[in-house]
Amino acid sequence: MNIIDSIKNSVKNYPEKTALIFGNDSLTFKDLWKSIESSSSFITSLNGNKIISLMAENSSSFVIFYLGIINSGKTVHLIPPEISEINFRAQISSSNSSSIICSSTVFDKISNFESINIPIFQFNDIPKNIDSKLIDSEVNNFAYLIYTSGTTSAPKGVAVTHSMVNFTTKNIVHILKYTNSDIDVLPLPLYHSFGLGCLHTSLYVGSTIILLKNTNDLQRILNIIKKYNATTFAALPATLSKFLKFNENDLIDYFSSIRLIITNSTKIPIATISNFKKILLNGNLATYYGLTEASRSTFMIFDKNLTNDESVGRPAPNVQIKIINDSDQESETGEIWIKGDNVIETYWEKIFNDKNLVDGWLRTGDLGYVDKNGYLYLLGRSDDVINIGGEKVLPDEIEKIVKQIDGVEDVAAFGIDHEIFGKVIKLHVIKSLDSNLDKSTILHYCIKHLEKYKIPSKIDFVKNLPQTDYGKVKRFMLK
Amino acid sequence: MKMNIENSIKNIFFEAFSNLSESDFSWNKEQKDYENWDSFAQLNLVTLAEAKFDISFTLDEAIEIKSANDLLECVRSHLS
Repeated sequence: MNIIDSIKNSVKNYPEKTALIFGNDSLTFKDLWKSIESSSSFITSLNGNKIISLMAENSSSFVIFYLGIINSGKTVHLIPPEISEINFRAQISSSNSSSIICSSTVFDKISNFESINIPIFQFNDIPKNIDSKLIDSEVNNFAYLIYTSGTTSAPKGVAVTHSMVNFTTKNIVHILKYTNSDIDVLPLPLYHSFGLGCLHTSLYVGSTIILLKNTNDLQRILNIIKKYNATTFAALPATLSKFLKFNENDLIDYFSSIRLIITNSTKIPIATISNFKKILLNGNLATYYGLTEASRSTFMIFDKNLTNDESVGRPAPNVQIKIINDSDQESETGEIWIKGDNVIETYWEKIFNDKNLVDGWLRTGDLGYVDKNGYLYLLGRSDDVINIGGEKVLPDEIEKIVKQIDGVEDVAAFGIDHEIFGKVIKLHVIKSLDSNLDKSTILHYCIKHLEKYKIPSKIDFVKNLPQTDYGKVKRFMLK
Repeated sequence: MKMNIENSIKNIFFEAFSNLSESDFSWNKEQKDYENWDSFAQLNLVTLAEAKFDISFTLDEAIEIKSANDLLECVRSHLS
């Protein structure tokens, strides 16, 4: 059973139901399947190995070709459109991809790259309505290949199997109660596992997806939710926080049809959670914790009657989590290890195996603890721990305090070399617009609220912080 | 200006040593006479002074600061 079988079921059961809306495109399940088969026929006609790269912004064509590649028994290598040339070359080489299928915007970009030795096809140049008899599905365990964006290291290839997708999708459907009557607004990039998991979920249950290109226009998103009486909405925490600048009563009205907002485990400000608890009169905010290597490992539905909003929830069914300390012993606080059918068996290039995969357990590199009720809490990245003269400091703790200061828009804390202490803390601070904040004010506040070894030694005011697409700061790029 | 620098240095000491009272403060009181002037407190004194006066001490300068007077003189040498 894979995602293609789910679509076939929907085509059989309700062929005329709307499956996908994107801009002016509206496809029924029957239309969608016809397009998938046509694209599969084209893919089958290509020579080469089992990996086909797909590089595009969100669109109907993205969905059609993603599914078309899988339907032809090949693996989709997903490349973010904004990728640098050097990383693009590295991924093409590592993936051993045989062709690239892309949008016209991407085509304009990568056609300027020299010495790309594999064929590149634009969506618009690929014939439609190709005879589906040409499809020659091969047996292939892998659904897609993504290179993780990595907050602390170079990207790693993560190949996700059909059985992993199936396991994760069933858990999402079961816990978040998706049904075929849902109308799902999805503005997340489909070339990342968060957006892709939402797509799989909608296709699995046969709901209607309203796909958006991005989250740039918040008012448009609200209008679409209202227009279609959407029932679910997927968004990054940063997007949800931006919505809070709207009038609360207006938001209550716009979100009145929403039964679920799903976000992900990038730190969600507590104020955002508490505000959305008030805004969603008929629904809940939920989050999950996972990595591309172990998608949706925990789920958290923020309950209006509970106060554990800093948790990322409890393990998904048939997923195990344990906390391991520096001595490789189970402990109250330490690195989060995950085991389950959602966890990869190996990285695409196996050089990382020994470090991150141990007897079926994935060492996540995330630090956390589990409370007595089984709820998991994240503390930061083990790679981010700053050792200051023997004292270990988590940047998140410093950042949490500094963010309380008036005039701080955003902040990143990280370690810099020091001749005596080994490392000391440096801050990169983004000031709010028109703020007169100075370094002394930040230090005064830190001295009041932090232990003395946690006081930053250097502060720079910056315009922006290097971030992944999920809004996580790439600390290894800071200095 | 002179008074301003002195006041600022005093305030930095009161900030770095929260239990230091006005009567306990002395320009010549040495590091060994402070209960909690350890290496981290040293680092914080230097950091606070650097931020306040927009200057940067060398490691040698930072290590040599052993009293409020030392810090005052060090700051003055950077501002002169």
